[in-house]
Amino acid sequence: MIEIDCTGMLCPLPIIETARAIRKIENGQAITLLADDPATEPDLVAWARMTGNKIEVLAASKFLITKTV
Amino acid sequence: MVDLAGNFLSETPLSAQARQALNDAFDQGWHDPRKLSQHSSRARILLDSAMESLGNSLGVRPSEIEPIGEPALAPHLAISGLLKPEDTLIYSQVDRKEVFALARRQKSTLELPVNRLGNILLDSLSPTVRGVLALQGANAETGVIQDVEGISAAFPDLRLACDYSSGGVRIALPHRWETAFFDAKSWQGPPGLGFVAIREGAPWKNPLPHLSNLRSPQSLCLPLIIAAAVALEEWIESEKKQAQRLRTLSFELRSEIALSIENCDIAGDLSTSLPHITSLSFLYVQGEELLRKLEKKGFAVDSGSACTAEDLKPSHVLAAMGLLTHGNIRITLHHGVDQVSVHELISAIRTAVSELRTS
Repeated sequence: MIEIDCTGMLCPLPIIETARAIRKIENGQAITLLADDPATEPDLVAWARMTGNKIEVLAASKFLITKTV
Repeated sequence: MVDLAGNFLSETPLSAQARQALNDAFDQGWHDPRKLSQHSSRARILLDSAMESLGNSLGVRPSEIEPIGEPALAPHLAISGLLKPEDTLIYSQVDRKEVFALARRQKSTLELPVNRLGNILLDSLSPTVRGVLALQGANAETGVIQDVEGISAAFPDLRLACDYSSGGVRIALPHRWETAFFDAKSWQGPPGLGFVAIREGAPWKNPLPHLSNLRSPQSLCLPLIIAAAVALEEWIESEKKQAQRLRTLSFELRSEIALSIENCDIAGDLSTSLPHITSLSFLYVQGEELLRKLEKKGFAVDSGSACTAEDLKPSHVLAAMGLLTHGNIRITLHHGVDQVSVHELISAIRTAVSELRTS
């Protein structure tokens, strides 16, 4: 599974990197995102709503993003 | 320095009439109205007249209003003055930071969630809860208006501290309220002046250290109060002609942005929002960069979310509504704004967002 490390990056960079990474995987596949900017979680939720993908919070600053579109 | 073609910031200069009143008041009303001299008596008459006018305009009795030289102190006076130690302090997720600070000191608190449109959800509020409800008339960041009348009627046993610092006189106070606070900036009055209204008979006690029965620190600036009264009278007259026009412009702004820019969150629904505030968030865009690009194009707008070097926390208001917190700008439509400037702003936003997304 692809893991992208956006630790230390400010919004919207973790979301931009997530969008870039998700283009490279097939539908149903997932990536892990590491990001500690406090805006990441609310912005990932909004991003998932806008793009139709699925997100899951695995731990503090760690997210699982599944491509569903 | 770029010449601004459009001021869409929340602040605006004082009107010529209010500025004139301010200058005149500094000439004639600089005496302390609390002293006994003849000049002070004259200052007292000016103060009483200004407070009478403000009371009439705000829909409260002049004797119920306290001018506050530090508007950020108003939530403390309005809310803490009603709170008893055993009370529950109820507030919403989209409330002001000053209210969150007050909640930290209270033993029992209840934070109410909001839906995607920013409306307070009351399901978690039991009718048996006793205490104070901090109730925003409208949110400063998104302009979303709460159903204050409905909430007030549904919870008759709660004491209400109403935050009208953004809504001002655009929205009516509910029939039942205990305290309310206002900011003169909401009617294009002078900054640095707030008002707390304490309803006659309300179970309110001054929460600040005090020796006398005064209800506020009395740090009043008479010229500012006079200018605020003049600005409010003028604003109300202007609003009668401008309200519908601003609502139409706001509709055009919201619908054209939604149609022409994909992946954009527009906070709230216009039918339940103040028409002069629009909060927009653009996916994959850095808010500060967007703000700078717009300024270079001659448009000044506010940033609703943080993500700046000074404050790295995202907007708690947008996050609570489930909206995008980055790439956010807030547009304020003041009286007198023309349709051409609004359409030029829309075009500038479209270009700036496109440039930032492809850079």
